[in-house]
Amino acid sequence: MKMKEVRVVIVGFGVIGRGVLQTLREKQGFIRGKHGVNIKVSAICEIDGSVISNEGLDLDKVLDKPLNKNKFWTDKKTRDVIINTQSDIVVELTPGNIKTGEPGLSHILTAISAKKHVATSNKAPFAVAYKRIMDSARKNKVSVRFEATVGGAIPIMNLMDECLSVNKVESAYGILNGTTNYVLSQMSDEGVELDSAVKEAQQLGYAEPDPSYDIDGVDSAAKVVILANALLGMDVSYEDMKVTGIREITPEAIDLAKKHGFTVKLVGDVLRLEVSPRLVSVDHPLNVSGSLNALMLNTDVAGDVTIVGRGAGSRETSSSIIADIVTISKEL
Amino acid sequence: MKVDLELGLRDVPGSLISALSPISDLGGNIQSVVHQRGAGGLVGVKVVFKIMDLESLEVISNALVKKKIHVQKIQVDGRKYYTKRTLSFLFIGHVIDTDIRDTIDKINEVGLVSDIIVNMSDPEAKSAVIMLVEFDDRKYKKIMTVINSISREKDLTVVESIE
Repeated sequence: MKMKEVRVVIVGFGVIGRGVLQTLREKQGFIRGKHGVNIKVSAICEIDGSVISNEGLDLDKVLDKPLNKNKFWTDKKTRDVIINTQSDIVVELTPGNIKTGEPGLSHILTAISAKKHVATSNKAPFAVAYKRIMDSARKNKVSVRFEATVGGAIPIMNLMDECLSVNKVESAYGILNGTTNYVLSQMSDEGVELDSAVKEAQQLGYAEPDPSYDIDGVDSAAKVVILANALLGMDVSYEDMKVTGIREITPEAIDLAKKHGFTVKLVGDVLRLEVSPRLVSVDHPLNVSGSLNALMLNTDVAGDVTIVGRGAGSRETSSSIIADIVTISKEL
Repeated sequence: MKVDLELGLRDVPGSLISALSPISDLGGNIQSVVHQRGAGGLVGVKVVFKIMDLESLEVISNALVKKKIHVQKIQVDGRKYYTKRTLSFLFIGHVIDTDIRDTIDKINEVGLVSDIIVNMSDPEAKSAVIMLVEFDDRKYKKIMTVINSISREKDLTVVESIE
């Protein structure tokens, strides 16, 4: 097999960025052997500077000490690095602002204009400007892949592109946020109040110090927007969503539902462009517990297809991001 | 036009007469009535009748709903006219104190609240109520408009079931 060398620039070196590099370090040999692709990281960008090496960075050295202690550290800004560093793919992994899509939106559009392909886990730019990004990618003849934006490790976009490629998606709905699913599962299993379940989720690292993004349904809604655009061909943004979170759900309500064969889940309904708590029958495929995510696709040929998996976690999410890098690499 | 009407009647005296009266009141010509005892205390009844127009049938259908008669299926000249849909709604808030009778009446104007389950752990605290609502499949949007309006007016959280 002829080996193809691919250079990537990583933008954002937080939990997900580190997770991607750790998995890449672990799987580099496997990817070379199975796919004939040698992935080299030519730059990693952070807010205050970047490490750059056109020969490819040593991942051990990058991971073992703070980025600004690396011998290749410079104060070059991300935009400059995206445009001027030798690379084929920009991997955008910054946290995003759901109202503006920034800073990821600018990074992605800059990369596309510079004729770089993009792989990303950043939801916000797609929730705000999906059409603008994809139109720009078509115009500049580059690939933009975003599997990790919805469902973490669960293959959704790639499943539709490959295995279900002859299918039209007629509707899709599911549990798209692991934190709320964990909280509701705890309320159901232990009979605790929402606040206690959230605190426990925070202690276990499932919930952020400010859990409102998850609890109020914002994170799920951003994912619904992406699915509506990508799977149902809509042209919608976050502002089109109707969003209700789980703050008003009481243990008594969950207990009543449970006694009558239901459980309460925060469900993203793509056709309705809605996120809201829903009663789900205990024998429904979406009744997954803990921090799992699940998505039910209603397709015209294959019928109902349900996929379940880990919706968060840096290692799990890196699975989707690196799969996108490999897919783009094979197309080069 | 020929109408095939499938009903679920409570097994009590007078229920069949009550179900048939809207048909005869609107000039329907009843051709056959077949009934079969089913599960859950309901008696399945299939009524075949002839009627002048769809407007009359709509009035009959609404009259049956008002009488809380379970209309399971209507076919007109062999084609589906009405399909029953059932959804569960979980209401959270001061459901009893905000006049639950009024809530039920408002829903019954479009569909039928066929079962209610209440959880009230403390008279001062928010209660939780599950209502089973039956309605004509074509009236889904109308049912949701009514329920969302009740939710806003009475400050109740509504959780709809997934089918």
